[in-house]
This record gives sequence, C-alpha cells and structure tokens, in this order.
Amino acid sequence: MTAVLPRRRLAALPATPRYLAGRIGQSLLALFGVVTIVFFALRLSGDPARLLVPEGATAADIARVRARLGLDDSLWHQYTTFLGHAVRGDLGYSYVQNRPATDLLAERLPYTANLAVAALVLSLLFGVTAGAITALRRGRWQERVLMPIVLAGQAMPAFWTGLLLVLLFSVGLRWLPSTGYDGPLSLLLPSVTLASLSAAAIARVTRGAMLEQLSQDYVRTARAKGAGTWRLVTRHLARNTAIPVLTVAALELANLLGGAVVTEVIFAWPGLGQLTVQSVAARDFPVVQAIVLLASAVYVVVNLATDLLYGVIDPRVSSGGDHP
Amino acid sequence: MKLDLIKGSRRRRARTAAGALTAVACLGGAACGIRPATADRAPGTLVIDTANYPSTLDPGKQYDADTYAVYRNIFDQLLRRDPRTQALKPWIATSWKQTDATTWRFAIRPGVRFSDGSPLTAEDAAFSVNRILDKRFASQQFANFSMISKATTDGADLVVHTAQPAPTLLTYLTTLSVVPERYVRRVGDERFAAEPIGSGPYVFASATAGSQVTVKANPLWWGPRPSVRGAVFRAVPNVASRVVDLQSRKADLATTLTPDAADQIKRDPRLAVLSTPTERVAYLAFNTIKGGPATDPRVRRAIAAAIDYAALIRNLQRGYAKPVNSLLTPLAFGYDKALPDARYDPATARRLIAEAGARGKTVVMDTSPSFNPQIVQAIQADLAAVGLTVDIRSTDQPTYLKKVQDPGHNWGSLRFGRWSCSCLDADGVIYPLFHTGGIWSSYTDPAFDRLVEQGRRVIDPERRAALYDQAFRVLARDLPGLGLFQDYAIYGANSRVRWTPDAQESFYLDTMEVRRR
Repeated sequence: MTAVLPRRRLAALPATPRYLAGRIGQSLLALFGVVTIVFFALRLSGDPARLLVPEGATAADIARVRARLGLDDSLWHQYTTFLGHAVRGDLGYSYVQNRPATDLLAERLPYTANLAVAALVLSLLFGVTAGAITALRRGRWQERVLMPIVLAGQAMPAFWTGLLLVLLFSVGLRWLPSTGYDGPLSLLLPSVTLASLSAAAIARVTRGAMLEQLSQDYVRTARAKGAGTWRLVTRHLARNTAIPVLTVAALELANLLGGAVVTEVIFAWPGLGQLTVQSVAARDFPVVQAIVLLASAVYVVVNLATDLLYGVIDPRVSSGGDHP
Repeated sequence: MKLDLIKGSRRRRARTAAGALTAVACLGGAACGIRPATADRAPGTLVIDTANYPSTLDPGKQYDADTYAVYRNIFDQLLRRDPRTQALKPWIATSWKQTDATTWRFAIRPGVRFSDGSPLTAEDAAFSVNRILDKRFASQQFANFSMISKATTDGADLVVHTAQPAPTLLTYLTTLSVVPERYVRRVGDERFAAEPIGSGPYVFASATAGSQVTVKANPLWWGPRPSVRGAVFRAVPNVASRVVDLQSRKADLATTLTPDAADQIKRDPRLAVLSTPTERVAYLAFNTIKGGPATDPRVRRAIAAAIDYAALIRNLQRGYAKPVNSLLTPLAFGYDKALPDARYDPATARRLIAEAGARGKTVVMDTSPSFNPQIVQAIQADLAAVGLTVDIRSTDQPTYLKKVQDPGHNWGSLRFGRWSCSCLDADGVIYPLFHTGGIWSSYTDPAFDRLVEQGRRVIDPERRAALYDQAFRVLARDLPGLGLFQDYAIYGANSRVRWTPDAQESFYLDTMEVRRR
C-alpha cells in the first residue's frame, strides 16, 4: 500500500520563474499537439454535411452544404485557417447551431463547473473520511463496513447509480427534482452520482498514504507523547498524507471539468458533457475542437496548479531539496 | 518564531475555511453563476420533455422533430393539415390556386400580426420562402423547397413560381413558417434565432441554452384562445430520465418514447400513453448492385418471406406498429392498397434460397446504433432460420452514411432504416430511396426512373396515382427494398394533458388541452 506519489517530479520542482516558463511552454506545446490530432482525426471520421441535410437530399445538396462549411478546401488550407483564427480566439461557428463555438462553451461551462466542484467537495468529504477511518481502524468492523460501500460506489456505473437515486429520491420520496436545473437542490443527485465514482479513488489513496505514515517514527513519538487520535490526524497525519490525495483530487477535478458525459445525459444537465456527445454525434467539428481545446487547457492548468500547491503544503518540495 | 507559525497557520486555516465555505455555498446554496430556470407551473402551463434541445429557433434553418416541435408553435405555417383526415387546410394562406403549370397564388389571411404588433403581409411570406432558397443563408431545408424558383407578391397575394410543375409544392408548404421580414432584416439572422418573433399561437419567452425553452400564449394571435397558456420545453436526452420525469411529476408530457418506456408508463395509473401511427416506415433496403447474394432478386424475395413481421410488431414494437404492404403508409399519396401485405412464409424463403444457390452464404447488414439493434438482431435470427448467415456491421452514424451512400455502392447487402419525408407523398419516399443515382439508392431501373420522374411533374392526382401504382409494381417485382412496419409516435402524459397526437408529429400546443386543478 504505497501512495501514488510522483516523487521524481517533486524532486525536480523548484518554483522558479524559469521553471514556470518552461512548464507553460510545455503546456502550450501539448495543447497544440492535442488540437492538431483532433483536427485531423475528426476529418477522417465522417462527413457532417450528410448529417445536416434532410433525408430526401441529393448528392448536389450535400456538396452545397460541404462547400458552404469550407469542407471541400484542402485539409492543409482548412488547418492553417483554423490555426490562424484560433490564435485570435475565434474557434469557428457551430455547423448545427450557426453560432460561435466559444459562445456555446461559455453557456455550458458554468453548469459543468458547478457540478464538478460540488462532486469534488462531496468526494473529498466522503473519500478522505472513509480513507482515514479505514486506515486507523484497520481490520476492525469500521473497515469491513466502509470498504464495500466505497467499492460499490466505484463499481456501479453512473447511469445505474443515477437512475437508482432518482427512483428513490424523486419518484419514491419526491424530495428532489429528477432532472434539469431548478435551483440548488437539483445539484444534489447528479453530484452524488459523480462523487460516488471519484470518492472511491480518493478513499483508497488516503488510506494507503495514511497507512504508510502510521508506521513512521514520528507517529510513534506523537502517540508516546499522549496525542489522541484526533490530534494525531489533524496535526501530524493530515499534512503528510495531503500530497497524494491532492494529486488524485486534481486529476478527478480535471476529468470532471471536461464534462461528465453520462451523468449529464441522465440528469439532463446542460453542461459540456452533453454538448460533447451531441457535437461528436453531429460531427460539429468547430464545437468538438473547442471542447477538446478547453478540456486539455483545464487539464494542463489544474496539473500546473497542483504542482505549485505541493510547495505550499510541503515546503521541502519548493525548496528544491533532495528530501523525498 | 513560534508565534509566526501560529499566525501563519491561523491565516491558512482562515483561508481554508473561506474556501470550504465557498464550496459549501456552491453546493447547498445558490449554485455559482447559473440561473435556476424556474419552471413556473402556472395553471395552464405544460412542462414538456423532448429528447433534444432545438438546434435553432430560426424556422428557416434546421429541420428536425425536436426543433420544429418548438418553433412551429411560435410561427404560423402557410398551410396546415387536418389532424384527422390529413387534408390540407387554410392557415396563413386562406385560399390558393394554380394559375398556370408553374405558378401558384396564395391569398394571405388579413389582419394577422406578429407578436411585436407589426402586420403579416404577403411580402413576409415571400421573404420566408426566398430566404430558404438563398444559397448564402444555407438553409438545411433547401432540399424540401428546391422545386421553387422564386416567390413574389401581387397585391395581398403570395405568388410562388416553380421551375417545373410541382405536385408536392403544397405538402412542403405546410412546413413553411412565416417570419417577419422587417425584424429579421433589422436584427440579423443570429439575433433572430436567439429572440424569435413570429405570428403563431405562442411567443418566445426565455431560453437556457442546451436546457429549456419557455413559450407563452400570444395575446395577439388571430386564432381561438388556446387552452395551453404556456409551455416549458425541456431537453432530456435519456429516455429513462423522461419516464422518471413523468413519474415524479416533473414533466406533464414526454415525447419520443420507446415501446419499452410506454410499457413502464402504463403501469402508473396516473399516466397515460398517447400514440398514433405516423408516416414513418421501418424498412430494409438492398444493395442490388454490389450486394453479394442480395444482388439476386430471388434472395431478396426470400428475405422478404423469411421475416416474421407479426413477431417484430408484437414483441419488439409491443404493438406500437402496423403491418405495411410497401414502403408507403396508407396516409401518404400514392399508397396502393391493392398490393398484398408482406407475408411471413419461411418454407418459400428456404425454397428461393435453394434455387438461388445461396444456402449458407453470408449477407452483410450495415447498421448504426441509431437503429434499434434488437430489430436488427431479430432479422438476423429470422434469416438464419432459412439458411442465410447475417454479418451485422455496426458503425456510428456518420461512418454508416458514408458507407451506404457511397456512389460506388461498396457497402454490404442490406440495411435497416426508418423513413419519413414529412410530406405524405410517395415522391418523398421512393424517389430518394430508389431513383438511379440518389444517395440512398443502390438500385437502377430505367422504367422505374421514368415513372417517378413523371410523378414529380404531373399535377393531375389521378394520373399521378396511376404512375405510382406502376412504380410500386416495379418495386414489388425487383424488391430493392421492403417495408417492415408502420411506426408509431409514442408520447407519455399525466392527467393534466388532453391531446390526440397526429400522424405528422406536428406537436401543435394549440391543439392540446390542459386540465386545471
């Protein structure tokens, strides 16, 4: 049971401006790579014009739509045009909705962000608590009760958990709205559904990190000095187990911000996940490209922020010392 | 130093607490940055679950069921159909006549106003047509109106000129929404789609992108006062979620339900299933050119005899389907009731396969997840029972379209699909499916081509009907495709709603009644 701790990266992490500039440069390169791959992969994957015309359309109708969308230009011309516009912040118009892709994203992002933050808070609350309890009460009944719950949450797919929750709380008890956004209560069921998936990962990492720390000398010393469990956890263990937990939480957050596809569809949540599904199905190239760009940017930024946070939690990290 | 540490940790603790508070506020309080789309359930307001958010509210642009379900309530159409008889009836056009082979004149209803108070004139109607024909506007409906060369006005009348005599003009004009020329020109297409103004029974009230559109009864509407005073159209893509919305009373009415969902709704005594046969036909089309064993007409006839149509309707459609005798429903012009119904006859199927030397051969069935996989598998099993192996090749919709619409006909032997032209006319079905060179057609027959080309240009209904009778005889002989069943539209509703859905799936709110409590 060792924590998932990227030690090599931590050791090489002096938070200098040069280091930051390097990281940002790498990030931009990664974004460019992702967008380029998606641009060409999309264009190999089918013709949006065929999906846009009515059923009785002729080949000429399809050709007209393709010409209007600029899809009959050479791939290279399409790509350079796209890049030229993209650097000026213009990600193109949605083929389906005839509106700027960036506008569509801006409308959906707040929903996804709210859901992601709520799910993350819930999964941290539950995951860290469960992880700590199962580590401290290893082999006792607390562990035997909590671990199956954690694992069940992770094992049950979102479309199943989500519908069960709705059947119980919306159809059966009538406490919570079943779908859509009608005030803060609507946030509860989808965020619990999402949290049930990420809480398990956080619980397992917390448990692993804590078990590792519990065998350390300083814990024995603290115990010998008479520290109670609460004090031991808050004063001594919390900071030492925070880094691996933070790493996992950051990855979860980055995933959640990309749009929780299944959960958003089940709960008719108008976030990026739904937009992704619809845009991919319709081969709405500009929107898919914009979503991918946003999702990878979020990923990169969250990762960078996490690395910087390591230094705040554990000053040894930012001092660039050789300590693990 | 110790003091510093304590201070630091206090500051940090304060920061942590602030962060946690924000998070809890987001979770439990007002969610950050998003507006609650208050589904005001005022008396007379219906909450309606549809599968998709409308792709636009500009009626000149897109053309799909969930989109026009919303905008056709905000705009008036040039013509409507009687929901029971399907006969054309006056709407914005009060009367119409053909003045020569290619010219039609429509009298525009006087006294109609758009919801901003401006009068609706023949100019607006002509603008609505010409806009769709304008190549720069790039309407996805262009194909439906491409028979029109231009629309003009003459006094208070709209005049429509067609390139050739166009017998299907009127049926497509039932889908033409009249938009206010002056407003559209003033605000531009993009803003018009965001804040549409029409003359219809309802006015656009508000929208949350991707989630819902709210409409309210139009006090200026020229028609009788509708019982439904307002409606919230919610986009709920998952069918099971639409069902739980009905069960939890979140929604009053849900569209696009599956037969399984209908069974679930029937179990709730306070919910009802509303359904109607539509002009949509589930069908098989064959690759008669490069379709392997299916290029032999005997194999196609064998397949037609091998399918247990009654079982498909009973087990998979759960009764929400009717048998058919061709690819056309009795609702459509050109339907020939003299054709015999498709018949399940496995003995004949086996004999035909033996004659064609196709026993044990493999036919490739191309499909996509958009088409019910249970039906595809049932057909596979039926064909296996008479000695044909079916290789199902499922790809996503764009790949599927690319494959089966390949002008070189390099795809499998057969495909399953559902077809509706929303035009109630044989021309909108068999022309695109089987005319040589059509994107869907992997069939060619000069006699058939001549018949359906003439059918497009002859106005006289009797002569037209005779042409389609002959065309269907050719299809019955060559069997480039076959009808499986007539599909139903299935809706679920609670006891607040009284409505008889119509075959055109028009979803006019002004034809519904809402019970007040």
